[in-house]
Amino acid sequence: MSGARESLGRIFLILGRLTLAGIFIFAAYAKMKPQAAMAWSGGSVKTSLSMFAMQVDSYQLLPPQLVSPAAHFLPPFELFLGLWLLSGVLLPYSALVTTLLIGIFFATQVRTYRMGLEINCGCFGPGERLGPKTLLHDGSFLFLALAVTVGAFILNRRARRKSADSTSNSTVSAPQHAE
Amino acid sequence: MSSSKTFGGVSASGWRIGSLLVILGAVALTGSSAFAQTTPVASTTGKSKSTKPHTPASDSAASATPVKTFGNKNAPITMEVFSDYQCPSCGNFYEQTLKPLLGPDGYVASGKVYLVHRDFPLEMHPYSAIAARWANAAAKIGKFQDVDAALWDNQSSWSADGNIEKFVAAAMSPADFKRVQALLKPCTGTAPKSKADRSVPAADPGCTVDPFIVQDIGLGYSVPVQATPTFVIYYKGQKYPASSGMVSYPILKQFFDSLLSQ
Repeated sequence: MSGARESLGRIFLILGRLTLAGIFIFAAYAKMKPQAAMAWSGGSVKTSLSMFAMQVDSYQLLPPQLVSPAAHFLPPFELFLGLWLLSGVLLPYSALVTTLLIGIFFATQVRTYRMGLEINCGCFGPGERLGPKTLLHDGSFLFLALAVTVGAFILNRRARRKSADSTSNSTVSAPQHAE
Repeated sequence: MSSSKTFGGVSASGWRIGSLLVILGAVALTGSSAFAQTTPVASTTGKSKSTKPHTPASDSAASATPVKTFGNKNAPITMEVFSDYQCPSCGNFYEQTLKPLLGPDGYVASGKVYLVHRDFPLEMHPYSAIAARWANAAAKIGKFQDVDAALWDNQSSWSADGNIEKFVAAAMSPADFKRVQALLKPCTGTAPKSKADRSVPAADPGCTVDPFIVQDIGLGYSVPVQATPTFVIYYKGQKYPASSGMVSYPILKQFFDSLLSQ
């Protein structure tokens, strides 16, 4: 791969991870933001998460005792994932977790759509109906996350190889210099 | 990827990992505190605050309509359910969610929730609008709750052959049934149904219950109802976003508890 292609790859990775970070931070915000003109507070966030629990329940996938824990875990986890992607730390792993999470969302949506359940998606807060449009945008997010994951692993491996090469060169050249 | 830059003796990657750990801690705290607040809510629901009851925007018009409600109008929470009597999801929603809500231990009986039924018969169901006519006629003589239960409980039977009349008759006295029949006698035209293009259906001119079904459909368009069942919740004068599909009673109750605990 030429230097130009590698630079392009790096630019794609930055843009890709920033896009995914934005999507996850917005998704978390939309689920946790106070509904119906309420002010931000622990109580209003709790109400929003309870509302999100109704959307999770409408997928008819989880037993009732798991619905609420899942609904209270997912939005903060999405926020964490968004911030992790934004930081760029351990990108291959943050991208991998993102791909797995979007993959689970996408598979759930496809199953629900095939079952003919007419429900709200709950992807970005209340209101959006689950349909072909939702499947299309979640499918695109999955593709993007997969591309970022693959790219991040390739560039990470290349960088490690380069770093190993330069270390071995310097250890070889050091005794020569001493001579 | 390697960085030789240091800030105060700590490498740049060290700073980044450190900040990530701080973020992780903050997010974990936010999530756990929000979840922790959910658990004790059930114990506080008994003391519902005296809040000004909200009446949906449509209620001024609804006062002239047949009474299709359950519970105390002054309850702090109003739940407006748009449903189609022939839709299987609506039947499940009634069986698994509304029945416990309306039961002796439910939030309607305890005065926390005021339940409003709205008719939203879909085009795809041949008998749903006729069932809505029966329910509205029964509501006009104060027998809505009995007929509503009879329609849901026997949904699969009358959905197969359209014989709604026998279940309505069984749900009330013969005298009341005669009054309901008399109300529906002029209803010879097609019963109004919601339209995919969101146009307002025509009411049968001679039929006194049709305008109320049309009115409910119009309200449904304004929500907007895209599928049945769809429900809208009002609390402290605020309308919460509509939810559609099946939601189990424990989860719905948890949402009510979170509202009442505020």
